[in-house]
Amino acid sequence: MAKNEAITARKKKEKRDPKGIIAPLVVLAIIYIGLEIGLRAFHVAAYVMPTPTHIIQGTIKSFAIILPDFLFTLKIICIGFCVAIPAGILLAALFSQFDIVVKAMQPVVIWLVITPMITLIPLMTLWLGTDPNLRVIIVIIQATPIICMNTLNGFIHVEQEKLELAKSIGATKLQTFVHITFMNALPQVFTGIKLGCIFSTIGAVSADFVSRGQGLGDRIIKFLKYSNFEQSYGCIILIAIIGISLYTVAEKIEKRIVLWKK
Amino acid sequence: MQEPKIKFDHVTKVFQTRSQSILAVKDYSMEIAAGEFVSILGPSGCGKSTLIRMLDGIIDTTEGDIFIDGQKVNYAKKKMPQSILRKMGFIFQQPNMLPWFTVRENIALPLRVFDLKGPEWEKRVDELLELVGLTEYAKAYPAEISGGMLQRAGVIRAMVHDPEILLMDEPFGALDELTREQMNMELLDIWTRTKKTIIFITHNIEEAVLLSSRVYVMGTHPGRLVEIVDLDLPRPRTLSMITQPKFIQYREKLEGCIGEIDLSKIK
Ligand SMILES: Nc1ncnc2c1ncn2[C@@H]1O[C@H](COP(=O)(O)OP(=O)(O)O)[C@@H](O)[C@H]1O
Ligand SMILES: [Mg+2]
Repeated sequence: MAKNEAITARKKKEKRDPKGIIAPLVVLAIIYIGLEIGLRAFHVAAYVMPTPTHIIQGTIKSFAIILPDFLFTLKIICIGFCVAIPAGILLAALFSQFDIVVKAMQPVVIWLVITPMITLIPLMTLWLGTDPNLRVIIVIIQATPIICMNTLNGFIHVEQEKLELAKSIGATKLQTFVHITFMNALPQVFTGIKLGCIFSTIGAVSADFVSRGQGLGDRIIKFLKYSNFEQSYGCIILIAIIGISLYTVAEKIEKRIVLWKK
Repeated sequence: MQEPKIKFDHVTKVFQTRSQSILAVKDYSMEIAAGEFVSILGPSGCGKSTLIRMLDGIIDTTEGDIFIDGQKVNYAKKKMPQSILRKMGFIFQQPNMLPWFTVRENIALPLRVFDLKGPEWEKRVDELLELVGLTEYAKAYPAEISGGMLQRAGVIRAMVHDPEILLMDEPFGALDELTREQMNMELLDIWTRTKKTIIFITHNIEEAVLLSSRVYVMGTHPGRLVEIVDLDLPRPRTLSMITQPKFIQYREKLEGCIGEIDLSKIK
């Protein structure tokens, strides 16, 4: 039993270790104080960079204006992201069934990952009309390829010996996929999902920049127009918070599922 | 004569790669009775793995037939049916554990695939874990236990669905000398108690003599059978037999067989 206890003890210790939470908070505080002092000492103009305190104050003051845009962007990112995850994994699963499709689709997927979707947005606005909710589509086509690419990588790089094990016990194609191919790809699936968080956020905000009218991206430009620099920065920070929160959730889920990788 | 448990009838295997075709096994025949413990001995690359991979349906044959209990089992290009696969357990050269499953889940995997459910099978997993001293590591992941334990897990995974035949592809080759000797003794113990038919592949002459009742010696270029040596040594075998004259005599005979192969390669 000793060994088992040792394993669980180690897991618990990792969970409870407060350093992981305190260290980043300390860094954040240092940056905050450093900026506050530095910006004041060198009399940096507000349009270059307002002090953190002013950003927070300004943002709180205008929060009633920002909130609808915040909720809109949050909605676009979350819906797009939630569609992109199964879409990316499913496409990868489909492609991986046939070697020839993998060969054909891999360059296409990489091409889609690399192309900045912002270049397509003006065109898409033409095709899709101007319903702001259609920005979800931008998020989906921005995030799906990166999830698909990583997942596909995991699906096609399975050790031959593991597949032979499946063969030696007569596993069906589905069993082999569920027990071996998919599990083998899981760490890479999560890498794709985490990158997908970043891509979704970029997609949503770039759509705002081009299509205007709604969303945090649009709000940043509006605030700038009236020289509300504090509020613009506040919006940028809110966007970052959305991205970081999604990323953190994905990472938490990964730690719960991918137990065998330390 | 009693029907052989396993029969290779003039089996040939050619691997077709893009640039060439490799004759891995040429015209190989052997017959193994139920409950026998035989070894296949030969230098690396002589087609030993290819032989038992054909038997276990991992790859197909090019020519010739393989029979288990008189039933032809090599279906060209078709998957071997589960009813036949269930008769065999394959132990790989590397432990070949799936890192994402716990030790217990790994060992129970054949049961899931063969759809063997119920408390009696659960109990069997527990008993096997107990047998090789892995009970307390059942919930550990493969990355958390030692090489020797992993290979033990590999052995009981191959036995979990109670196969009649064990196919072992240089199972203890990656282990250190001491662990290897210990594992060999444990294996003999398991064989004595369960009377399974065992094909044991090795390139270690001493191991072949110590364990088996008969040794099939293979040669390279092309991979083929060069000699069958029956070992008339008493059972149960012990490590102390290694120094007995009869043991040494067999060892030297096998060394001779292998030596001839090397000479023929030089020519
Ligand atoms: N999948 C394969 N494709 C092509 N050649 C192979 C393949 N598997 C084995 N071979 C070749 O067949 C020969 C015998 O291999 P193997 O059975 O693994 O030998 P052993 O197990 O005795 O070391 C070797 O020359 C090897 O290169
Ligand atoms: Mg081999």
